[in-house]
Amino acid sequence: MRILGLLAALAGLIVLPLVSTGYVVYLANLLLTFTVLCLGMHIVIGEAGQFSLAQAAFFGIGIYTSGLANTAFGWPFPLSVLASGLVAALVGLCIGTLALRMRDIYLALATFAFGEAMQWVFLSWTSVTGGPNGLRIPPATLFGLEIVSDRQAYPVVLAITLLMIWATVLIARSRLGRAFRAVRESEVAALAMGVPVRTTKLVAFALSAFFAGVAGAMFAIYSTYIHPDSLGFQTTILVLTMVVVGGLGSISGAIGGAIVFGLISELLRQAPSYQEIIYGLILIIFMMFAPRGLFAFIGDNLKRFARA
Amino acid sequence: MRNPLLQVENVTVRFGGLVAVNDFSLEVTQGTIHALIGPNGAGKSTTFNCISRFYQPNSGRIVFDGTDITRSPASEMAGCGIARSFQNLELFNELTVLENIMIGAHVHCGGSLRAWLQAKPPAVMHHIDEVIERTGLAPYRKHKARNLDFGHQKLLELARALAIRPRLLLLDEPAAGLRNREIATLDRLLTDLVRTDGLTVLIVEHVMQLVMSISDRVTVLNFGTKIAEGTPQQVRNDPAVIEAYLGKEAAHA
Repeated sequence: MRILGLLAALAGLIVLPLVSTGYVVYLANLLLTFTVLCLGMHIVIGEAGQFSLAQAAFFGIGIYTSGLANTAFGWPFPLSVLASGLVAALVGLCIGTLALRMRDIYLALATFAFGEAMQWVFLSWTSVTGGPNGLRIPPATLFGLEIVSDRQAYPVVLAITLLMIWATVLIARSRLGRAFRAVRESEVAALAMGVPVRTTKLVAFALSAFFAGVAGAMFAIYSTYIHPDSLGFQTTILVLTMVVVGGLGSISGAIGGAIVFGLISELLRQAPSYQEIIYGLILIIFMMFAPRGLFAFIGDNLKRFARA
Repeated sequence: MRNPLLQVENVTVRFGGLVAVNDFSLEVTQGTIHALIGPNGAGKSTTFNCISRFYQPNSGRIVFDGTDITRSPASEMAGCGIARSFQNLELFNELTVLENIMIGAHVHCGGSLRAWLQAKPPAVMHHIDEVIERTGLAPYRKHKARNLDFGHQKLLELARALAIRPRLLLLDEPAAGLRNREIATLDRLLTDLVRTDGLTVLIVEHVMQLVMSISDRVTVLNFGTKIAEGTPQQVRNDPAVIEAYLGKEAAHA
């Protein structure tokens, strides 16, 4: 049953660009990018329980690394995707070493401050980011072929997303995933079980940065323009809201949240001035009434309905 | 006389001006159950936290199986073969019983990349199933730790520690809050682990019924200092111990 559902979803994703308009394909690319961003946040917050609020900064690092790899070095895109992830992970490792000495609200504040600092860097480092003028992202290439449209980018973006979902599942099931959850649930008990708590947190942080960096490279494949304004705290909050709406701590929640809330936020683009108020409201409502996320909430109520 | 598995040598722990443990020494013999008792605040848990490397003693040495572990980090203890339980439960509450015990086996899940990636490495699962069977947690494998009743949560702490496959098991008040029937189960389980599996146990406990029944040796602490040591019989009749627990009058009665 579950396998059939997954296969149906996959088939849908594959035929999507054949039956839909350009806008829908663009939206699909965007939602897939958000999916990867959410998976990254799921690893650090949902699995390891470390409140990192720097996802947009790592996303930005990914975008600019990819842009640079395309223009300056003319790398084929698989290489620039990997480079984007690695550069973001490396920065994450450095920041994590400092920030993870703190916990809870202090960790959240430290990572928030890093995010703000990075946005300032994006605005000021004109030679790489274009500064306040924004950056025209050169097209991604593979063996001389250029990816110039959303439709061309879609299979690549989809393949990377599936790869990242698979990696997330693999990590969650592994020894590392168990160590993440142990650290989240009780640091002293984790220590007593031989889990090196600080290293484990650092790995979670760097992995989450890697995912955000890869998401940045995905964005750079289909987008032609990026401005530092869209790499601020808003974006981090958007991703956090997606993960919370989907259900903190579950992979399907992170994916579902990215898609459902990504669609909502696209609708809200019609009313930009209310956008953030509505995000905030949704976040509060979910924390109050459905802290385990939309899908768990629907599931619980269906069960209750079936019993009644 | 068999070799001491654990030697605590002249350990002193100060918290600010307070001397919690004062020049304390202890030897735990391989394959025995050694109890550490004393009134509240005597320094038992502090000693315990030094051995499991959660606290750093101000002076003194801790030697496990001939190796000085006084400076080793707490996260290396499981790998050395030292497991501990916690006085106030420290379970992974949102995880299942099985997952809790799997994390206990963390140090055994490495080796190859394959074992590292596997959700249920076969080499480890055999031992885990045995632990679950022996602690009677089999019916609760898929229950979340926080949904268990208190007695089973205590058992889960023990099971998780056993999954480390320790040579030395440090138990901090495993019987506190248990009912008589549950204490009897614990008594049988611990005795069996020591007699048939050759485990060594150091136990801090207030439930005297259990201490007197299972211990090979008992060490009594008061105000951070060792006041008596011997078999349960010897300690029970020691005037210094009676005084520490009941006051001067009782000791002379």
